Amino acid sequence: MPSVSSGHALDLEKFLKSLKGQPLEASINSLISLLKRRQIKGSEPCAVATAHILLQVVARSKWHDVDSLLANVSRTGRKLVGAQPNELVIGNIVRRVLGLIRDEASEDRGDTADESASDAPTPTDIVPPASSQQWTTRRLDSASSAAPAARPPIVSSYSSINPPKSLFHLLSTSPPADGDVSPFRNSGASTPTWRGNSSQIHALRSEVIDGIEEIKDEISQVDDQIAASAEVQIHPGDLVLVHQPSTTVERFILRAAQKRKFTVLIAVAPPRRHSAESQHATFRKKLSAAGITVVNVMNGGLMAYMSRVNKVIIGARAIVATGGVVADAGAAAITRAAKEQGTAVVVLSGVYKLSPESPFDESSLIEWGDSSTFVSFADGPLVCGAEIRTALTELIQPELVDTYITNLGTHSRDHLSSLISDHYKREDADFHIWEEAEP
Amino acid sequence: MSHKGKNSASSAKGKKPSKAGAESKGEDVLQAVVLADSFQDRYKPFTVETPRDRKLTLVVLQCLLPLANTPLIEYTLEFLAMNGVQEVYIYCGAHTDQVEDYIGRSRWAASSKSCPFSVLQFVRVADARSVGDVLRDMDKRSLVDGDFLLVHGDMVSNLILDSALAAHRKRREASAANIMTMILHSGGTEEHRTKTKGITPVFVVDTKTQRCLHYDEMNPLQSDHYLSLDPAIADELSTEFEVRADLIDAQIDICTPEVLALWSESFDYELPRRNFLHGVLKDWELNGKMIYAEIFEDGYAARASNLQMYDAISRDILGRWTFPFIPENNILPKQAYKKHSNNVVIETGASHAHDAKLQNSVIGTDTDIGSGSKVINSIIGTGCTIGANVTLENSYIWDGTTIGDGTAVSQSVLAGNVVVGKDCTIPAGSLISYGVRISDGIAFSAAAVLSTVTSTGKPVTGATALLGPDGNAAPFFDPEDDELDDEDPSRLQKSLIYSLAHLNLSSSSISTLASDAGSDSDDDDGNLLSADAAHSSRSRLSSFASDDSAGKMSFHADAVHGLLDALRADSGDFDSAKLEFMGLRLANNASDAMMRKAVATAFVRRAVELVGPEQQQQGGGGTGLDPSKAAERALTACRGAPKFVNEVGVGGGEAAQVDFILALQRALSHYYAKGQDQGGKTATLLPAMLQQLYALDILEEEGILGWWADARAVEGEAMAGLKEKCRVLVEWLESAEEEDDDDDDDDDSD
Repeated sequence: MPSVSSGHALDLEKFLKSLKGQPLEASINSLISLLKRRQIKGSEPCAVATAHILLQVVARSKWHDVDSLLANVSRTGRKLVGAQPNELVIGNIVRRVLGLIRDEASEDRGDTADESASDAPTPTDIVPPASSQQWTTRRLDSASSAAPAARPPIVSSYSSINPPKSLFHLLSTSPPADGDVSPFRNSGASTPTWRGNSSQIHALRSEVIDGIEEIKDEISQVDDQIAASAEVQIHPGDLVLVHQPSTTVERFILRAAQKRKFTVLIAVAPPRRHSAESQHATFRKKLSAAGITVVNVMNGGLMAYMSRVNKVIIGARAIVATGGVVADAGAAAITRAAKEQGTAVVVLSGVYKLSPESPFDESSLIEWGDSSTFVSFADGPLVCGAEIRTALTELIQPELVDTYITNLGTHSRDHLSSLISDHYKREDADFHIWEEAEP
Repeated sequence: MSHKGKNSASSAKGKKPSKAGAESKGEDVLQAVVLADSFQDRYKPFTVETPRDRKLTLVVLQCLLPLANTPLIEYTLEFLAMNGVQEVYIYCGAHTDQVEDYIGRSRWAASSKSCPFSVLQFVRVADARSVGDVLRDMDKRSLVDGDFLLVHGDMVSNLILDSALAAHRKRREASAANIMTMILHSGGTEEHRTKTKGITPVFVVDTKTQRCLHYDEMNPLQSDHYLSLDPAIADELSTEFEVRADLIDAQIDICTPEVLALWSESFDYELPRRNFLHGVLKDWELNGKMIYAEIFEDGYAARASNLQMYDAISRDILGRWTFPFIPENNILPKQAYKKHSNNVVIETGASHAHDAKLQNSVIGTDTDIGSGSKVINSIIGTGCTIGANVTLENSYIWDGTTIGDGTAVSQSVLAGNVVVGKDCTIPAGSLISYGVRISDGIAFSAAAVLSTVTSTGKPVTGATALLGPDGNAAPFFDPEDDELDDEDPSRLQKSLIYSLAHLNLSSSSISTLASDAGSDSDDDDGNLLSADAAHSSRSRLSSFASDDSAGKMSFHADAVHGLLDALRADSGDFDSAKLEFMGLRLANNASDAMMRKAVATAFVRRAVELVGPEQQQQGGGGTGLDPSKAAERALTACRGAPKFVNEVGVGGGEAAQVDFILALQRALSHYYAKGQDQGGKTATLLPAMLQQLYALDILEEEGILGWWADARAVEGEAMAGLKEKCRVLVEWLESAEEEDDDDDDDDDSD
């Protein structure tokens, strides 16, 4: 788009271009400013930006061992999360990268490390073996090479049976700084032997960089992969309701449209001021070209249609650990209506949007926007006399969602926890909280 | 690492190449000039300058005052960073140190890696007295070489200017005469808190091309409540235009360097809007430049130019209109605000009792709010202590202030480190400056303006009668308030609460349109004179001639005004005024007679001013100067003025001298006829001035005696009366002549 590139205002594209030309610190700060100013917003751009900056951190920051690399990444990650605390995706990507580093480190170390490390007695017996492996990984940055290192995008079999099981487990993920002396501290795989080995650091660096590139690829391919399951989900003659379709949802519907004949209802927000009249116009054009009937419906009139709708498709901005879905404002009412009518609710989301967090204060997940979205600032009496709040996102309660479709396939709510443990190391789950106390 | 060399190289040429492959710097790099000192201080008593040795350092620049717990200048710099500006030049006026110190410690510092600007430079201009001086200096230095943004240091905006910049560039490429684009925001037809109170800017904008055709300011104090348009606007410039008085003007301008050149050409312009914009638009035929207005409907833009706007913008921030620049987004790196229910935004580290009622407020870190207190629509800074059962409504409490139990504060500003005792009542509109202490149980009946220093920065003795035994402050009076003209609308903007209640406003009807058209000219045509000509002549707000003599009248008005300004300056060089005058003359193709009239009018007006009670403005006594002193001062105070009068005003032989005296006499006769005689002083000005001119060798005996004999000198009662006053002088001249030289006798009969 020429109009975008000729402008001076910053956006994701310009930020990515600027990455190479400036020092790391400046890039991080500029990304933080962009996030704070909401010049980069939405889950996908945020994820892409986070992945890019962490790649720079790994490639260019100073680190001489795994711990310092982890510290660098989590320090940067913490700042990014703080810049847009409601965007869970940023934290997800940071956790993915942290896990990736741990995996690569343990893999590399596995070659030189004492093979007996995995057989050593763990402090407790109630921990299942697979998770003890991960736990020791965290503890020692070493693990046996017995288990193939699970790189996040690859769904490994063993870790899926790895949900948080005990209180002890939670405690054991506290940072090593707590003075707890591990029995493995003195084992052959201790960090000192690692330090200074530049070729290994070099290898680790390139491994991690490759891993982050994979995450970037994953983010870019999510829409395609999700769309692959469209034909299974949408049947001929269906009446499908979509709410303010995101690109993911659009791709999904368009893919189904190649093979099937069905009707799409687009639930749109009240028209914004000054905006062009027809929302999602290009999407509608494409659908009509594919021979699909499209109807635009205002949010308010949805209940009337709901009895006829077969499926509600929602694009997620993020999914929390409980299965609750952060979606565009307006979606919660639709899913509630769907629940009343017994209509199936399908949530589309890349796995990278699935967050291990489950905040106890749900209102803290909601992003509040600019008051001028629906009310004109020029409307003096309204501006001065009324308090105007515009919510950008809403949390859909987990029990209102029937199916989650990710780039890894179709899941039920119960399955989400295993997806989470596949992708995130438990010790990284609260990286933005527990290290905050440290200087 | 291998990256280092590359980094330093690239950061030297600009950190963020915003357009890949763009070669030319002028096209690519967006520059901005920030005026952090606007020379219009409307934040008293918070911005009083204090001597350096005092312990308590006060913030003296309005751009560093906290707006929603963030210094004002941060909003401006964030706005620039958001729009991808890369080179920033900041002018901070007399207090550069303070701002430099602040910036140097912040993330904007050029040394810090987080600065998004490749250049952040402070501009120092010695002896600048107005925005105009600063911009003229910028022109000389040629710091800016491409399109640049001209903004003020107290501006809050979240507009993305890409579209406006693109439109500006397109226009500029189409014609070099398109020099400037103003960014305005629509404010709606109804009352709005964020519109400037007191002074209403009026823009006349072409509907199709968005060209701005006319600019004027209106205020409730002016006697004529209407706006006159140059008929050329309708005749030649535009077929369809809007007159908009609803716009919110944050004074964000996209300028080309020619704008600075234009400032340099007009050296008497001071204000960017009232002088520059108005003048350039008015003289469109002369300068051939065009200025456009981009009117935004979305987004937010406003200038916290005074306390009323400070109040309004604070409310807009609470109402999230300035998104993303709201407290919970933690624009400053160290901030840690979080949003809670009831739209209360609290920074980590602040605490409040559980039964404290908080609503729609912002609370900074380390602040403690006692039980049973109510905080509504207020902004509380960091480190404040709010006691129990305190009521704060619509108030702004800056850092480190303590408020005792049971005190009620409504719609007031309490600056930093203020201590308010228990059970006090602070009514709406109060302004309490830094470090003021108020004892227990003090209730003000009306809005109080308190400070520990006087307007000149000297410490005051505590007014214990008013503030109780602990009181260390006194009511603050700004002597400038008294100096202000009754009709100066800026007095309306000095308080926190805008009010017209105490004012006596005239209500002229729109039907006076034609008769007042020439009120700026003091012309000798009686029908063009209005009762308040003397007053309105000093305000450039007033109307312009709409008849055929538009050119002549505007020449006269402009020339008189320019000269008068130069004369009022008293000291200083008259050469520049002369240059301007000659420029005007050439531009308007004015005749010798017109010039003579203008010069005479200007000097007479200056003399009348000096005689009259307005002399107070110059710091003198209450009654004004003696006529002969006034004449002397008017004519000789400025270096070069006598020469100017001799060459330009008179410039020739006897006939010219006679004409000049006649012009003097006519100009004076207006005052004389209107009874503004100041006890006969005005009338005696004529002989006084003649004598002075004679003493300066500008007028010769022949000229004066020639005038004495001229029939035109007795047209009308006023003229005759004035002439009569000169009899003594003439007789003295005649006798002096007779003694000196008998040959001159025959000149009498000429």
